[in-house]
Amino acid sequence: MWRPCGVFDETYSSDMSIVRTKFHWICLIVSLLFVMIFPLFDNYYLLSLFNKMAIMTIVAMGLQILSGMCGQISFGQAAFMSVGAYTSCILTNIGLSFWIVMPIAGIVSGLIGLLGGTSALRVKGFYLAIATLALHFVIIWLTMHLEITGSTEGLHMDPPTFFGILIDTEPQKFYVIISVLALMTYGARNLVRTRVGRVFVAIRDNDLAAQVMGINLFYYKLLAFFIACFYAGIGGSLWVLWLNLAHPDQFGLMDNVYYLGMIIIGGLGSIPGVFFGVVFIVLLDEILMLVAPPLSTLFPSLGMEVSANLSLSIFGIAIVLFLIYEPRGLYRTWNVIKNSLRVYPFTY
Amino acid sequence: MDQFLGLTLTGVMNGCLYALVAASIVLVYKATHVVSLAHGQLMTVIALFFWYCLVPWSLPLWLALPLMIIVAVVIGLMVNGFAMRPMIGQSSFSAFLVTFGIFIAISGFVQMNLKGVSKGLPTFLPSWSVELADVHLSSVHLFSFAVTIIIFLGLAILFKFTTIGLGMRGTSENHQLAQSTGIGVDRIFAFIWILSTIVSAVAGISLAIIMDIQYELPFLGIKGLIVALFGGLESLLGAVIAGVLLGLLETFAAGYLDPFVGGGLKDVAAYIALLILLWVKPYGLFGLVKIERI
Repeated sequence: MWRPCGVFDETYSSDMSIVRTKFHWICLIVSLLFVMIFPLFDNYYLLSLFNKMAIMTIVAMGLQILSGMCGQISFGQAAFMSVGAYTSCILTNIGLSFWIVMPIAGIVSGLIGLLGGTSALRVKGFYLAIATLALHFVIIWLTMHLEITGSTEGLHMDPPTFFGILIDTEPQKFYVIISVLALMTYGARNLVRTRVGRVFVAIRDNDLAAQVMGINLFYYKLLAFFIACFYAGIGGSLWVLWLNLAHPDQFGLMDNVYYLGMIIIGGLGSIPGVFFGVVFIVLLDEILMLVAPPLSTLFPSLGMEVSANLSLSIFGIAIVLFLIYEPRGLYRTWNVIKNSLRVYPFTY
Repeated sequence: MDQFLGLTLTGVMNGCLYALVAASIVLVYKATHVVSLAHGQLMTVIALFFWYCLVPWSLPLWLALPLMIIVAVVIGLMVNGFAMRPMIGQSSFSAFLVTFGIFIAISGFVQMNLKGVSKGLPTFLPSWSVELADVHLSSVHLFSFAVTIIIFLGLAILFKFTTIGLGMRGTSENHQLAQSTGIGVDRIFAFIWILSTIVSAVAGISLAIIMDIQYELPFLGIKGLIVALFGGLESLLGAVIAGVLLGLLETFAAGYLDPFVGGGLKDVAAYIALLILLWVKPYGLFGLVKIERI
């Protein structure tokens, strides 16, 4: 474990804890306080942006566990998210409480995800990527054609109540989504340090060698798929909490692409990297949204949807550049900057 | 019976187009051990350029075709130079992700040019058609059928009987070993990207004549990838057989099963087939089964 100069872990528990130093504690408390008072500014645009980012972070975190840590690339994350979304719509509409439905949605989505996991047992690498892509198309096709999922019209969910309070404004949703995000992040951060997390890393690095060392590949690959799809299902459940609507168009092919791009840009294999990836992508979109109107007045031939298309192109180029020049993503860049600041007058 | 025959013919013709798309992907894989997602977009871009040549600039065909080939070469070189060359010696999986990045980057460009309107290529082929069992087989279909067969024969000869073909197979095995035995891996990368871009240009233009240049066209590249996986990534013959099989499967599913499930089965039949096949034969129908060592 790497520690900067002058920081000592004197006891085993301080070595193992997630929040180690006083500075970390201060940062954590300040950021939590900031999150708590943030909705009081009552900026609808920023709040809904944050809600979207938080949901995306949860889903991308699941993909990070599956693809970044366990090395099983999946193009199906948006489809598993849609499973969670539809499950929570259907179950709340028959009268169950949303707070019970949310974990159920995660578990149902995880169980469906085991389907993808079974193909992971036979194939790997890009074969698996394409197999999960095929699974994505099949699931989305099913949601568009089954009666129970409302076919092409999608499903509606009424806003749930929390001890008598109706959760239907943006700040209330913000509190729910952020607290779930905090829980899920804590879970993912801890998972890395447990036996399961280390087994995942072993499978990523060389699955044959892992098997020779006595790891049950069958069990752990399925487990990785289950966890990833559980995260996606929770994300989907929050998605219907946020929009009160589940529709096949919300879970398209491009969303898979975005989630995968986020974890590549953030840094494959690191949980904090997910945040960097999500923030990078969302900021890119928002900045282009600001730049686009003057651009399209300057060059009318570019058309009205220039911001979406331009952000797509820049996003693609960013993925290529990151893979070539910084394969470990923004998280490593952040660490490099942090370390060079720490020893500032000297070169690191 | 007539319906059966008609569906079979359409299926085979569609399958040949899929096979043509798959050919460019198999080509890259056989030579460089990189699975490419990018070809769907490459073929769309070149078809789009061809459309620009023919319609807004109204160039004659004899000028537009060579121009199209030159642009294909340039695009192939650009993709190779900017994105694929740095991936020599890297794991084939990161190379796959790079092609995925190229896919997204080009898709933004394509949509910027399409602006949501599909663009039809003018018919430059003679407009006769053969009537066979109540099916109109247009000259486009027969033309692409012939082109598919010629291209596949050419590629098979290239891989089997030429020195550079041997070098390609060596490169596919291991970049570093190939380099150290004196094979110019970077030259092979450049060559194969040019070649595969030209093949995908042909595929793109054949497809564009049939279904216009539109938002869906790049995603046929993904279908080409499915066909390539179905037949086994190393096998050109497998690509043809898988292309025809999946073409047949799609038309039969659309013709016979759709009335029972309410339509749209054509879109997912290939994916379901792939999922089932990967459980049974993980390396595709004719792919090489890899024996792994630590």
